[in-house]
Amino acid sequence: MSLSLATQARPVGRSSAWLDWLQMLTGACLILFMWSHMILVSSVIFGAGAMNALAEFFESTGMAQVGGPLIGLVFLFHFVLAARKVPFRSEQQTVMAAHARRLRHTDTWLWVVQAATAMVILIMGAIHMWVVLTDLPITAAKSAARIQGGWWMIFYLVLLPMVELHVGIGYYRIGVKWGFIRRDNRKNAKKFENILTVFFIVIGLITLIRFLTLTV
Amino acid sequence: MSRILTFNIFRYNPQDPGTPPRMDRFMLDETDRMTLFIALNRIREEQDPSLMFDFCCRAGICGACGMVINGRPGLACHTKTKDLPETITLMPLPAFKLVGDLSVDTGTWFREMYQKVESWVHTSKEFDPTALEERMDNGLAEEIYELERCIECGCCVAACGTALIRPDFLGAVGLNRIARFILDPRDERTDTEYFEIVGNDQGIFGCMGLLGCEDVCPKGLPLQDQLGMLRRKMAFTALKGLVGKHKHKH
Amino acid sequence: MQTIYSDLLCIGAGLAGERVAIEAASAGFDAVCLSIVPARRSHSSAAQGGMQAALGNCAMGEGDCPDVHFADTVKGSDWGCDQEVARLFVDTAPIVMRELAAWGVPWNRVVPGESRYFKGGKEFTKVEKAEKEGLITARAFGGTAKWRTCYTSDGTGHTVLYTMDNRAAQLGVVVHDRVEAISLIHDGTRCMGAVVRCLKTGDLRVYIAKATLIASGGFGRIYRESTNAVINDGGGHVIALDTGVVPLGNMEAVQFHPTGIVPTDILVTEGCRGDGGTLLDVNENRFMPEYEPEKAELASRDVVSRWMTVHMQKGFGVKSPYGDHLWLDIRHLGIDHIRTKLREVDEICKSFLGIDPAYQLIPVRPTQHYSMGGVRTNKDGAAYGLAGLFSAGESACWDMHGFNRLGGNSLAETVVAGNIIGKKVVDYLRGCEAIFNSKVVDEAAARQAARITALRDRTNGSESAYAVREAMFDAIMKGAGIFRNEKDLSECVETLQALHERAGRVGLKSNGLGPNPEMTLALKIQGMVKLALCVAYGALKRTESRGSHTREDFPERNDRDWLNRTLATWPEGASLPELSYEPATKVFEIPPGDRGYGGGKIISA
Ligand SMILES: Cc1cc2nc3c(=O)[nH]c(=O)nc-3n(C[C@H](O)[C@H](O)[C@H](O)COP(=O)(O)OP(=O)(O)OC[C@H]3O[C@@H](n4cnc5c(N)ncnc54)[C@H](O)[C@@H]3O)c2cc1C
Ligand code: HEM
Ligand code: HEM
Ligand code: SF4
Ligand code: F3S
Ligand code: FES
Repeated sequence: MSLSLATQARPVGRSSAWLDWLQMLTGACLILFMWSHMILVSSVIFGAGAMNALAEFFESTGMAQVGGPLIGLVFLFHFVLAARKVPFRSEQQTVMAAHARRLRHTDTWLWVVQAATAMVILIMGAIHMWVVLTDLPITAAKSAARIQGGWWMIFYLVLLPMVELHVGIGYYRIGVKWGFIRRDNRKNAKKFENILTVFFIVIGLITLIRFLTLTV
Repeated sequence: MSRILTFNIFRYNPQDPGTPPRMDRFMLDETDRMTLFIALNRIREEQDPSLMFDFCCRAGICGACGMVINGRPGLACHTKTKDLPETITLMPLPAFKLVGDLSVDTGTWFREMYQKVESWVHTSKEFDPTALEERMDNGLAEEIYELERCIECGCCVAACGTALIRPDFLGAVGLNRIARFILDPRDERTDTEYFEIVGNDQGIFGCMGLLGCEDVCPKGLPLQDQLGMLRRKMAFTALKGLVGKHKHKH
Repeated sequence: MQTIYSDLLCIGAGLAGERVAIEAASAGFDAVCLSIVPARRSHSSAAQGGMQAALGNCAMGEGDCPDVHFADTVKGSDWGCDQEVARLFVDTAPIVMRELAAWGVPWNRVVPGESRYFKGGKEFTKVEKAEKEGLITARAFGGTAKWRTCYTSDGTGHTVLYTMDNRAAQLGVVVHDRVEAISLIHDGTRCMGAVVRCLKTGDLRVYIAKATLIASGGFGRIYRESTNAVINDGGGHVIALDTGVVPLGNMEAVQFHPTGIVPTDILVTEGCRGDGGTLLDVNENRFMPEYEPEKAELASRDVVSRWMTVHMQKGFGVKSPYGDHLWLDIRHLGIDHIRTKLREVDEICKSFLGIDPAYQLIPVRPTQHYSMGGVRTNKDGAAYGLAGLFSAGESACWDMHGFNRLGGNSLAETVVAGNIIGKKVVDYLRGCEAIFNSKVVDEAAARQAARITALRDRTNGSESAYAVREAMFDAIMKGAGIFRNEKDLSECVETLQALHERAGRVGLKSNGLGPNPEMTLALKIQGMVKLALCVAYGALKRTESRGSHTREDFPERNDRDWLNRTLATWPEGASLPELSYEPATKVFEIPPGDRGYGGGKIISA
């Protein structure tokens, strides 16, 4: 009896390690996806033709039909994993916010921003994906129509910076947590992260403006 | 030139339940080369003899005087008033149990930490008083010393958001302690054994990379690099499953 | 009242206290260590330099052996030490050093090949042997014939204490921190434990033990300017003295270091002067050559401290809000030298003074540094006067330091003594029956509770403990500082006697609830004045100069009349300690002779 108890207690749970792996990997997947997504959507800058061609390529190879929902799954999975780290009790949220304010410490603030943007992304990202994926195929015309409708423009103007901040910080955080970003290159890595974030937001804005002015 | 400094100091004596927590204000003329050690002692001797705070070595080597100085955890004894604005706010370190005013109970927290990480050399060898000491490379000795320089001031814990919302988190100081033993060839624990201690959310996988620890450590310990190393090592130990029984030393 | 029982009670969780506790725990006894601060903050952690042991591994330590170490120690003590104890010490030190290595201390090791070193500001080369690679290495320290001081960079005390505390945790030694022993429990013949005040709650507790050890460190804080931690105010000595039967040995032997920084009195290393730094006065004149034409700044610690004091008394000190000081000038050594070879000094100047020593002068003055005196024990560490009471470390007068201890010998003493005395404590525990007289225990506790109430209610008066302490600082520095003479000492003793009475009338200003710091001081201020009186009165009576005890009116070392040790006890109700004397040593391996440095005349036995 006591023996079985002892042996049960013995093996160490590896779940934390697995979950951490998965959190990092889903995050990394989503980053890669967001970059590809950016190429697809921003191709509209070069004209509707470019975007349509890319979209068609994804469509004909079946990547949109399979990949889309798959990304949706990864997205949800990542949310479930990362949510373990977000304080859900308001008491803890207050502690964390007060702490960040008192400490005047950028990296702690970055985390707060990451957690906050995550919540927005969860809701808006899901809506967005639902709308796009239930209205396949993707064409520049459909997209432009949505955005010229007005509401979607505002929607994206909110979602875009949220996503890019979350991605930029996530990228930096993976580097820090896994030791790729070290004490000696941290400053540069942070600068790189900032430039990257700004760069993607600017491209995104240009894309949105292009959709607004696109006549099809 | 000489300034009049205003100190806003957190006051609460849990043994005097009649008086609620509050902030008290003290004024003090600044003198040349003044440190918070000098200032607080003068306040106690000249203005309020009941003011509680901790100093021991007053030379930045014992870790007793950690407190939150204008929002940041740091060692009061090696903080010069001349580096601070005219108004100075002092709070006790969060994450530790309050003893009174600026004084907190770090001893209990750290003793729990030693027990959790088993902060000692695990070896099967018996000490032989007649034998020469075992040899060690001087470079390695210096590397170990670099991680052993921690003075257990608790600043890294107080600066860590994770530690504040998760009281069972080991903190950078506890994780660094494990890194120190991993480095030490005298400690015969295997990676799997280290994993049992820190391969969880109270350990390395609880760390969210906030780097408050790295940025406040008054001794400048390489915490960021140790945490990164530890996460990789423990994550790969989990991957290797039960195969990686042997400890890899360099 | 909470009562805690154990086999061994260690008052002190520094190196000495924990080392003894480890020995007892290894033998299967329960050991409890008490400490004012968490164990690792004990002042042992502040020692940077290193600890001496004749391992003879490094090139400059070749040919070293315990005999050479022994000779250095005896000369250092100015023949004031107990030579049997010094012998035990030097023979055990190398073993202890290796034991610490096995427990985890990251000692610096021998790196084979050629390397450079500085001496007197000049550069030399040495070659380390390949066969010694990886063995524990050593550095040079004052007053030693060989390089013998083992070290871990600039944090020797820190790493050794951390390792010791790790070991203690492993063996289940219980450490109660933030507590302060305020009285021993005894019946006049046997010690049974201590009454202890909790510094987290202010409550009293009783610790009852078969054996009690005082390992409470130095009492430097009876001086205003001391390199010691602020908790080193002699609490352990006070409770021993208060028994009325336990004598303190050689309390007049107090070591001063020439270069404590002003303010805060943090030590900057002797290396500054060793490498060519100079001392300047208010006019930025170099004054040491006037007094010591030959050695100048490089004369021994006590000599330099003496001349600095003289020069300031002549009015050449630099005025500051923290009192007079002088300047240490290392600017001419060059920025490279300062940033690399004197890194620690560089850091202290920047973090605590906000000055850059490569361009600015460092404010310094002689500062109390070490107490050779303490609870007198025999060579087994057993205190005189009470069975079951032991002492080890700086708080003890075991007595291997005599009238001057060598750098690196005290850290080593704590661990060596802990090892040796720990075994004796175990022997004692093995043959010991627990006999506790509950009446004695209750009375001791009640007496302390009454003191606390009286202080809170201001029954005896409302004298300020801080004011008494300030007055004590002034008195002792005037009389029993570096230079001593009949007139100043008599005055000092008189002033202190008056203060002793005043201390009896202390009452609190604040409410004294919980771990109130005013209460903490009030409880021991009278005891501190008593210690100051032991120092001053002992110094007044010792009409010779030996080691750190310097009488202007008796400049010779007098082996004829004073080759002995002062023992001070404090009978209940007295206003002065009772002094008696015993021979410095029963066994002479080396008969009294010339130290080979420091000069001075000797009156032979
Ligand atoms: C700045 C400095 C540098 C030094 N450098 C060196 C060096 O390089 N080499 C060398 O050999 N020596 C050096 N020394 C001397 C050496 O460090 C000390 O002599 C030695 O560490 C003392 O150790 P200890 O265990 O006796 O006492 P400590 O380490 O002082 O420990 C005393 C313990 O007693 C406790 N205590 C005290 N009073 C009470 C009480 N009333 N109740 C309960 N607990 C109590 C304290 O909390 C503490 O735990 C240096 C000293 C100083 C000040
Ligand atoms: C396109 C969508 C998303 C991308 C590209 C993305 C990317 C990332 C990345 C790369 C990380 C770092 C991973 C790590 O530290 O291991 C991360 C962390 C995080 N993500 Fe996302 N994420 C996305 C959506 C979401 C959503 C919907 C949530 C909803 C809750 C979320 C919550 C979080 C949180 C809380 C963290 C911090 C975890 C920690 O610090 O340990 N993310 N994200
Ligand atoms: C497989 C899933 C996805 C598909 C197929 C997809 C497709 C598209 C398309 C076609 C557009 C153009 C605008 C429109 O048509 O309304 C667009 C824009 C956008 N999408 Fe997605 N998307 C997907 C997932 C996501 C996710 C997970 C996020 C982030 C959480 C996201 C964020 C955005 C943003 C911010 C824009 C505005 C683009 C810009 O300003 O550059 N998308 N997406
Ligand atoms: S790691 Fe640094 S901040 Fe943390 S306890 Fe140690 S010295 Fe203090
Ligand atoms: S602040 Fe905390 S979350 Fe990790 S990086 Fe430092 S331990
Ligand atoms: S008092 Fe020791 S570190 Fe500040």
